[in-house]
Amino acid sequence: MNTRVISVRRDIQAEQKADAAAERERLGRRGTLVINLLSSPGSGKTSLLEATARHWAGRRSMAVLVGDLETDRDAQRLAPLVPVAQLTTGGACHLELPLVQRGLQALGDPAVDFLFIENVGNLVCPASHDLAEHLRVVLISTTEGDDKPGKYPKMFRTSQAMVVTKQDLLPHVPFSIEAVTEDALKIQPALNVLTSCAIDNRGIQEWCEFLEQQYQKKIESVYEPAGNR
Amino acid sequence: MHERSLVQTLLNQVQQIVADDGGGVVKEIQVQVGDLSGVEPILFESAFTELATECFSQDCRLVLDIVPVKAECRLCGQCFEVQDYEFLCPACGTGPVEVIQGDQVKLMSITVDSENLVSGAKS
Repeated sequence: MNTRVISVRRDIQAEQKADAAAERERLGRRGTLVINLLSSPGSGKTSLLEATARHWAGRRSMAVLVGDLETDRDAQRLAPLVPVAQLTTGGACHLELPLVQRGLQALGDPAVDFLFIENVGNLVCPASHDLAEHLRVVLISTTEGDDKPGKYPKMFRTSQAMVVTKQDLLPHVPFSIEAVTEDALKIQPALNVLTSCAIDNRGIQEWCEFLEQQYQKKIESVYEPAGNR
Repeated sequence: MHERSLVQTLLNQVQQIVADDGGGVVKEIQVQVGDLSGVEPILFESAFTELATECFSQDCRLVLDIVPVKAECRLCGQCFEVQDYEFLCPACGTGPVEVIQGDQVKLMSITVDSENLVSGAKS
């Protein structure tokens, strides 16, 4: 018997990461900041996007790719406000780049300022997949407990911002913004922490200003958007 | 359960690498999985058991090497093993730290029996 060992030593996601980096570069060059929104189911991603679209109406352009296991209910909610495409995973627990690229094609590859990817509600699997985002944002609602960062460290470690949603419910639930912030900052000391309530618009202006700053930092200072040429 | 899609990616790569290397029967696949990779080893192993037998021999083994998380402080240069996912430098306590090990899923090596030179195929 002739047995041999082939040495490889390669990240098995290297190809996908390179594809994501190329797509990120392409979208950034033409002036689009891509934001990957991640959270548990029901934490308020769609509501935050509705409030964002209302805040920016007529001033900043945005589009949304909505990931769901089944149904297009979230996409139907957003469609009256912004261009939206549904990404149905058919049961898969996360989005991958080819699905995002198909969604972009379905939208006609629009040159918007902000492209949001509303990921499947899940704090585990989506953390391991680069969707060509410039910014990864994790949402945590006040109704789901303030101990999530320690339970899902990879999600918080790989995010650049955390938005605590449903701020209006704080008087009614055992949730501490201080505790969740302390927990999250141990895992990712550079994390930007914001709070919001999509129903009464608390924090929405700050959230949009944060995104504008990220746009200036990651797009205007790095690339030359097509509109400026 | 994204382990299934990762295992499928791994197996596709193994098939291609073995074919490019002259073919043979895959006997063992060694993979490094970091504690911060988001991969649950038990789920990875069960997905492997299910999927590998479809393209490799029944006795093809998966050897998982679980790697702890290590980080380096960008401010003072201290390297340390991250305990309980606390990414704070134990030396200066202030600097931003960079993960230098532990977030990878890495194909390390493939052991091939080339007695039967059928390219990556099931025996």
